[in-house]
Amino acid sequence: MSTGEPNDKVARGIRRAALVAGTGLVVQLAAALHWTPAMFIVSAAVGAPLVVAGGVMFLVAVWRNMRDKGAV
Amino acid sequence: MLPVQLIVALVVGIAIAALLFRGTRALAGQTVGRIVLLVGIVGLPLLLSVGNVSYGVHESSTTRFCLSCHEMQRHGKSLFADNPQALAAAHYQNRRVDRETVCYSCHKDYAMFGDVTAKLNGLRHVWAHYIKGVPAKIELYKPYPNSNCLHCHDDARRFVDSPVHRPLLDAMYAGTTSCLSCHRIAHDMAKVDAEQFWQAR
Repeated sequence: MSTGEPNDKVARGIRRAALVAGTGLVVQLAAALHWTPAMFIVSAAVGAPLVVAGGVMFLVAVWRNMRDKGAV
Repeated sequence: MLPVQLIVALVVGIAIAALLFRGTRALAGQTVGRIVLLVGIVGLPLLLSVGNVSYGVHESSTTRFCLSCHEMQRHGKSLFADNPQALAAAHYQNRRVDRETVCYSCHKDYAMFGDVTAKLNGLRHVWAHYIKGVPAKIELYKPYPNSNCLHCHDDARRFVDSPVHRPLLDAMYAGTTSCLSCHRIAHDMAKVDAEQFWQAR
């Protein structure tokens, strides 16, 4: 498969999404290892939204790539 | 610490996200690769987060969670107070409520949004613990509602047949007479301070 410029662009977007989602999981892991009421809130209010943000960033990156290719 | 299974699942999720981060360029150019990225970066982390948060919500209803703040530990000790008339002690010691969730069983409202209200109140507790400061005297946010008692006692024979309860039933159901006007001691702090505890043999 070709990995031309559009694919570099989508790859960058996906990598950013992976980084954000991975950070969310790390936050949740840290909270799970030091479980206190405050860490539960951190896990739910920071960790989980980061994962959701990563998911959204992934979809945006893919959608932009498809739009650039004229697929949508 | 949360269960090992949950921690292992999170570690695996992080490892997969890290591997996909490194292999993004190779995978992003292929349809199958993009599906793998979708599952590994979106699907799996979302699934893990839902599991983690829902386990946390469940865990936040447990007695050990409530008593993990030091300011609640006297209330926790009152569950063992040697006073069969004290409500918390009587309910805990006689297993009238699940001991794993004893605080939550009595202190959450049973209305439609009772769970949500209880969790929001939990946020207020955490705010008080870390930011605002714990008040000198710990009190309920509102008078204790009869509906919480009636959720279990409602049509229980021992409750409705009691000659003391009979003339008051309508007033209790209407909430105009509080259960606590007779059952005055909820948590017997005097026994806690005197270290008079009941212990199962």
